[in-house]
Amino acid sequence: MMLQVENLHAGYGGAKILRGVSFDLAAGEVLVLLGRNGAGKSTTIKALMGLLRPTAGRVRLAGADIAGWEPHRIARAGLGWVPEERRVFPELTVAENLEVGRRPAREGLAPWTPERLFALFPNLAELRQRPGARISGGEQQMVAIARTLMGNPRVLLLDEPGEGLAPVIVDLMAEAILALKREGATVLLAEQSLAFASRVADRAVILETGRIVWDGAIDALLADTGARARHLQV
Amino acid sequence: MDLIFLQLLTGLAGASTLFLVAAGLTVIFGVTRVVNFSHGSLYMLGAFIAWSLLSRLPREPDYFVLGVLGAAVATAVIGAVLEVVLLRRIYRAPELLQLLATFGVVLVVQDVALWVWGPVDLSLPRPRWLRGAVEIAGLRFPFYDLVLIVVGPAVLGGLLLLFHRTRWGLLVRAATQDRDMVAALGVDQRVLFTSVFALGAGLAGLGGALALPQGSANLNMDLSVIAEAFVVVVVGGMGSLGGAFLAALLIGVLQAFGIALVPKITLVLVFLVMAAVLVVRPHGLLGKPQAMARGEVEALAPIRPAGPALQVLGLVALLAAILAPFVAGPYLLSVLTEAAVAVLFAASLHVMMGPGGMASFGHAAWFGVGAYAAAFAAKGLGAGMAVGLLLAPFAAGALALLVGAFVVRMSGVYLAMLTLAFAQIAWAVAFQWVEVTGGDNGVLGVWPDGWAADKPTMYWLALLLCVGGALVLRRALFAPFGFALRATRDSALRAEAIGLDAHRLRLAAFVLAGAGAGLSGAVFAYAKGSVFPTYMAIPHSVDALVTVLLGGVQTMAGPVVGAVTFTVLQSWLLMGDFWRIKLGLLIIALVLAFPTGIAGAASAVWDRWRGRAA
Ligand SMILES: Nc1ncnc2c1ncn2[C@@H]1O[C@H](COP(=O)(O)OP(=O)(O)O)[C@@H](O)[C@H]1O
Ligand SMILES: [Mg+2]
Repeated sequence: MMLQVENLHAGYGGAKILRGVSFDLAAGEVLVLLGRNGAGKSTTIKALMGLLRPTAGRVRLAGADIAGWEPHRIARAGLGWVPEERRVFPELTVAENLEVGRRPAREGLAPWTPERLFALFPNLAELRQRPGARISGGEQQMVAIARTLMGNPRVLLLDEPGEGLAPVIVDLMAEAILALKREGATVLLAEQSLAFASRVADRAVILETGRIVWDGAIDALLADTGARARHLQV
Repeated sequence: MDLIFLQLLTGLAGASTLFLVAAGLTVIFGVTRVVNFSHGSLYMLGAFIAWSLLSRLPREPDYFVLGVLGAAVATAVIGAVLEVVLLRRIYRAPELLQLLATFGVVLVVQDVALWVWGPVDLSLPRPRWLRGAVEIAGLRFPFYDLVLIVVGPAVLGGLLLLFHRTRWGLLVRAATQDRDMVAALGVDQRVLFTSVFALGAGLAGLGGALALPQGSANLNMDLSVIAEAFVVVVVGGMGSLGGAFLAALLIGVLQAFGIALVPKITLVLVFLVMAAVLVVRPHGLLGKPQAMARGEVEALAPIRPAGPALQVLGLVALLAAILAPFVAGPYLLSVLTEAAVAVLFAASLHVMMGPGGMASFGHAAWFGVGAYAAAFAAKGLGAGMAVGLLLAPFAAGALALLVGAFVVRMSGVYLAMLTLAFAQIAWAVAFQWVEVTGGDNGVLGVWPDGWAADKPTMYWLALLLCVGGALVLRRALFAPFGFALRATRDSALRAEAIGLDAHRLRLAAFVLAGAGAGLSGAVFAYAKGSVFPTYMAIPHSVDALVTVLLGGVQTMAGPVVGAVTFTVLQSWLLMGDFWRIKLGLLIIALVLAFPTGIAGAASAVWDRWRGRAA
């Protein structure tokens, strides 16, 4: 297993949000973490990344127990986070944003370079010298993903990459994720939209009130109307 | 013509060292969001270390360069240690506590420097090559001025290259915009922050070392340079290197001409120029609004009126205070008088800090204005004590109105920096304007009227005026004014939406605070019989802050508890040599241990105890 999450607990101050989240992610797999708005998807990802300190549980990344590590160490160990709010550096150019993410190559992975990333996101190539604040939301999302890939992560944590974007751009995102999958990338995708998830994911887990309530292949979820009605519809 | 040109050169040369200090301050602020009050201390250390090195090295130009660079590097190392030991622990603390903790460092460094280098100003015997002049187009230019004039832009260029052409610089710029994101991309923030701090400290040290040949290394240079550096970074725009450079040129040249033309009011001139710039460009010449995006971090607990238990306790304490002269000896009585003065001084600061949300680092300015007003009434007008006591709050309040008119527009650290800069200027005026204030010798013989001449009567009078004044301030805070003020503090936008004029409310609090402090200053003047510039000095402003912090910002009893505690501490623990280092360490320990103050911590314990009992 590339990533194993066992009984993860985390929250904000007194508010306990995650109450025992467990799932596995195999190398080369795209797993979608589904759940309604406020279910705790982003919280799970932040806890994995060390931005929130887990209060209990274990997180194994390629064998190492990274729960409780500081974010920079977790990033170096191979988790790459693309935040929901994108958080592109507004006053750095697109090229500089990518440079900030650069980390040494990782054994067994073809190292990412700006050139390869501009091939993955052709829109970005002409924007190299444009400040992060002066590109569109979709372009910022691409920069955020590209910047994280520059760190050659073992696992990419994508938090709602299609949120708030026009349908054409959402299509581009789906294609980019599929392209990454063809290259063998391992992805944990947090999503609200089953439609988007079903286009890219192999497996799904559903998060509800801080626990995993459903785990299985994405096709099984598509077939299970009962589970969808119980856990996903608003 | 020649004279003007030379003056211009002097100004530009001064601007260079000022720029170095301000650049360090602004770089550190950009990444860590901490306004480093101890930055002037690093400048001072740079000068002292340079003196130690240069006075031992041969007097050749290349050794001079070596010594100056050595001093800069040593200061950078000191900065790195400071960051690791203290600053790292307070990055997420409320702004006010960060400012206070770094001020604690100022005090500690002053005593360390006093201990290592002694109290005498140390200047460097200048070798001939340093004193030389260069002839250009028939005019003779002092060689060292030219050196300094070149150093400023050279360092600016070097810094721009560093920030825009290296990976380290890129990471620093990224961290300035979103430090947590940088960490999540695998960058160790600690290494980055420590190195940024070391760079900033090194720049300050370089500035101090370069300023040495034209002046001396002395124990006053820390506060005087930090006040100027604050003015420069605020005028230039917080976080902007180019802005700091422009502003340093502006201020440096202004000062040089000011000293040549109107020596007494040069500092006032600087302050006026700063005011003018900020009225036109509130974020400074090249600053951006988001430089202050951090906002209030501290979750402010609501102020509650005292409960019955606390009221009884207060009455008992007051009664004890009234009866004290029947048992207390003269020494204790004078300590108690000081405590009464401290109560009003702290309560007046509390008005603007707690309910007003404005932390002043220059509150002693109003105290001093009040004290000098009393002195002026006694000596200048030959009037009785009543005139002095009446004049003081009006004089302090009127000046507070003038200064506050544009200072209260600023938020958070800006306000703290500007009030400090103003107080430093007020102190310098009192210090330099010997004809009126007597300079360092002060004004002596400011005695109370005959009927209040004996100690117990003076004490009762102080108690009446100061505790009475504090109660009036307290009354104002539970009146509609106080509620409106707190509404403005908690959300200026919402307060404006319900029709409150935030600017006027804040200004009113500022003036009220100034007037209260002015009265306490006058009482103090009559009780001591004399007035000195130190009444206005920054450490005295910090006394007020520590007092309020000791007592807790968000409790009404805070200023009283704090004032009594602090006066007791000052009279016993903090007496004698090296009181600064003790006070500095006390401040640092307090910030690290009790971010809510003693009364705040006590009330939390009380609540918990009551909760368990119920
Ligand atoms: N910074 C925060 N502080 C306190 N509560 C938060 C914070 N961020 C999110 N929450 C709460 O945690 C819960 C889960 O949020 P989140 O993980 O963002 O949900 P999702 O990403 O699934 O929409 C929500 O109830 C939200 O209100
Ligand atoms: Mg989310």
